[in-house]
Amino acid sequence: MTTDSIIIDDLTFEYPGGDEPVLRGIDLRIDPGEFTAVVGGNGSGKTTLCKTFNGLIPHFFDGKFEGSVSVAGTETRESNVGELSRQVGYVFQDFENQLVQETVRDDVEFAPLNYGFEDYEQRATRALEMVGLAELEDRFIWELSGGQQHLVALAGVLAMDPEFVLVDEPAAQLDPQNAREAYERLRWLHEEQDKTIIVIEHHSEFIADYCDEMVLVSDGGVAWKEPSHVGLNRLEDLRAENIHPPQVTQIADGVPTELSTGPDDRYPVTVDEAVSALSPEATPTQTKRSAPDGGTTTTTPHSRSDETRPEHGGADPVITLRDVGHGYPTLREGRNQVLAGLDLDLYTDDRVALVGANGSGKSTLLRLLTGLESPDEGSVTVLGRDTNNALPEELADDTVYIHQNPEEMFVEDTVRKDIGYYLKNRGADNVETRVEEIISYLDLEELADRDGRLMSVGQQRRASLGIGLATDPTIVLLDEPTGSLDLQSRQEVTGILKKAESRVETVVIASHDLQLVAGWADRVIVLDDGDIIADAPPTTVFDDAELLATADLRQPQVVALSERLGFDSPVLTTDTMVEAMASGEWDGESPMGNGESIAHKGSETGTRRERQ
Amino acid sequence: MSYLESVTDISIADLKVDLMRTAYDNDNALLNTFDPRVVLLWTVLFMIIPWLFYDTVSLLVLLAAAFALAALSQVSKYLLVLLLFGQLTNIGFFVVMVPLMGGMLRGMGHLRANASQLIDGLVALDLSVFAEAGGIMTTAVGQGLNTALTSQEAGIEAVGAVVPFFLKLTIISVISLAVFSAMSPQKISQGMLRLGVPRQLTFAIAYGYRMMPLLVEEYHALINSFRLRSKVPEKKGILKWRYAYYLLKLSIKAFYPLIFNVAKRSRVTVEAMETKGFSQSLNHPTSRELRTEDMMIRPRDITFVFGSLLFVAGVWVFV
Repeated sequence: MTTDSIIIDDLTFEYPGGDEPVLRGIDLRIDPGEFTAVVGGNGSGKTTLCKTFNGLIPHFFDGKFEGSVSVAGTETRESNVGELSRQVGYVFQDFENQLVQETVRDDVEFAPLNYGFEDYEQRATRALEMVGLAELEDRFIWELSGGQQHLVALAGVLAMDPEFVLVDEPAAQLDPQNAREAYERLRWLHEEQDKTIIVIEHHSEFIADYCDEMVLVSDGGVAWKEPSHVGLNRLEDLRAENIHPPQVTQIADGVPTELSTGPDDRYPVTVDEAVSALSPEATPTQTKRSAPDGGTTTTTPHSRSDETRPEHGGADPVITLRDVGHGYPTLREGRNQVLAGLDLDLYTDDRVALVGANGSGKSTLLRLLTGLESPDEGSVTVLGRDTNNALPEELADDTVYIHQNPEEMFVEDTVRKDIGYYLKNRGADNVETRVEEIISYLDLEELADRDGRLMSVGQQRRASLGIGLATDPTIVLLDEPTGSLDLQSRQEVTGILKKAESRVETVVIASHDLQLVAGWADRVIVLDDGDIIADAPPTTVFDDAELLATADLRQPQVVALSERLGFDSPVLTTDTMVEAMASGEWDGESPMGNGESIAHKGSETGTRRERQ
Repeated sequence: MSYLESVTDISIADLKVDLMRTAYDNDNALLNTFDPRVVLLWTVLFMIIPWLFYDTVSLLVLLAAAFALAALSQVSKYLLVLLLFGQLTNIGFFVVMVPLMGGMLRGMGHLRANASQLIDGLVALDLSVFAEAGGIMTTAVGQGLNTALTSQEAGIEAVGAVVPFFLKLTIISVISLAVFSAMSPQKISQGMLRLGVPRQLTFAIAYGYRMMPLLVEEYHALINSFRLRSKVPEKKGILKWRYAYYLLKLSIKAFYPLIFNVAKRSRVTVEAMETKGFSQSLNHPTSRELRTEDMMIRPRDITFVFGSLLFVAGVWVFV
């Protein structure tokens, strides 16, 4: 028995002033060399559990602490956070606030200096090389992108050379591309540097791709610890905790069992596994060729792409951009031209998704539509008004902009007041009734009297949509509506989006979330380097692997699977896929050719350095 | 108006970058190349020196030198303009204020001289005495106004008296602006640490620099959020004063959510500080030594201090 493990024995913990224990009778062991995911629903206690590993509990939060936690033979209760942090490095979910010095190198050197290590410079250099930031060491923290800041936080932890590296929800604050890069980095640390990696995660697709083990925390206890492919097959347990199994697992669960035989008699959890489990070779009974092209039934993937964009005929566009150029001054690199020569028309009833890599101009475009910024060149017309000649307050009569960071939307001390703020300021009639109506329409009753800034991100997001819809807008602009949301909240937001459609004319979202785009949008605009490189229905966009790679986008599992199984055009949702598979009406010819190109693309985008 | 809008728009982004440059881009700043301890002590010295001068001309020479230093330290032109504007309006205020006060004193003096009559009239409740009291009041006001309007000279004289004082204040402000915007926060805290300032304070300085850009961005986002949900006054008023007042009100309101969000951030920060061994470093002599070991006083530091003192001595003797 090694003594290097984290061993938890019958741990019970209650926060001071709490009514009942947050953690109850936990037994858990994490050995060196693992890559373990800690999963659990909101409020299940998974973060609390992880804070016992480095002694934040019980030393920083002192509550009722029973049982024992030992890290590499040290009883955490007898040690302190500083000492334990040399063994267990912690990257917070809110990593931005973990960076406390002004430049990258200073921040990474901060901890080694605090401990008085003579070799602090070498430590920092090595840590920066490990995360691939050596070239940015003199940059200011605030100049970096979110993904880079996350790496700085990781480097700060690595400078202490800990055995265990704990990362709290890397996918929550990062966009999918950066989250994947963060995971690639963790995998490298795990495989090449022999670190033990523990992540708190609820995106099961990351768990399937990267983690060896998973621990399910449920209601303050550890329900089980299993190898991740086994754990991800415990669908009931996961769903009970609002964790959605990977899309391919859901598909395998949905189709008749004879179609979904996987290795070891379980459902596949990655696209690769799903291809071998669901491909025609594995199910030779299946007859194909019956439906060579798209005109089969409404259940085929084509149902969506067939309904081409509505013909706008003579209808005037709601939003017009003509030859728009816009940029910002920067500290080091002169003027950063974000948009250049952009032309775009958006029509009534368009469900538009703006997608593209970080820095491709999605948010800038939305802000131009609000009138908060005027274009440097060209013109932006919203509902017939030139934004150059209108104040943002005036444009806001018909257009509502929902901020990427919902926190910035809360200016009052209750959600109810926030929803009414606009109406009251504009002297609207019967404000109270209208506020109540929105609250009940969006099921915000239980949040209405809480302070928006103290809610979880998911709740904040829902409330911010309420604030937006209260204005009875014609156009709704949403910046990353599902950013940093768990899957449960994501579904709620998607639901609200669909509800909103009945009240507004045009919805434009900027998003990295291709699952959302696939399931919701009917017009996808791909931005790259400040210009539009594609403007088409989702099926067309998702079909073009090269295009997606250019825009740093990654296909949802279901799309990737449909492509590798040889569907003629991408399937956008798991339900459609299940129906299509169950009815056997798909063309399973030559799945491998496509598959290889996808795999190749995946590795290429995986190593792509992010933009400044 | 579109022109005005676009100008204000650009200037906000430009303003932000300019302030960032002042605070963070120190690579070429003259003062940043010296040992921070020397610069800090030099600053303290030059906080005192202006008070030893009384002559306007010498002070002007010193002020010019301070501006030259500010230019070498890449101080934001917006900040300098703001500072000058503040000082000039202060002086202008005296031109208006002194005659006004003079007028008021004059009027009060007349009232006091006739106080007994006034009180008599009020006590007697006699109409005729009332009229007399009214007369006294009117005379007082008239005399006050007259004094106020005719004593511009006194106001300008008063300004003459306060100009050296304002010059001294301006010199000190410009110098400290130059020092603190030229030195990188790391250097400032290093220097302070070595001079025995508690580590908590030096950390706070560095942390403040780290968080400031974040807060600026957040503040801007909050103001925008307010704007999108407010209504502009329908009548803009003369010189758009209503509109300006409305924006001012918003910018003050936006501070409350900002403070709230800062408090929220700091919860994570204190936890993270703990995991980074901050509390361990407080009493850790090696930690302090390592942080300040690469500081060294070189000949050029000495040259700088003595050179500037020589300059001051020169001004003292020759101007």
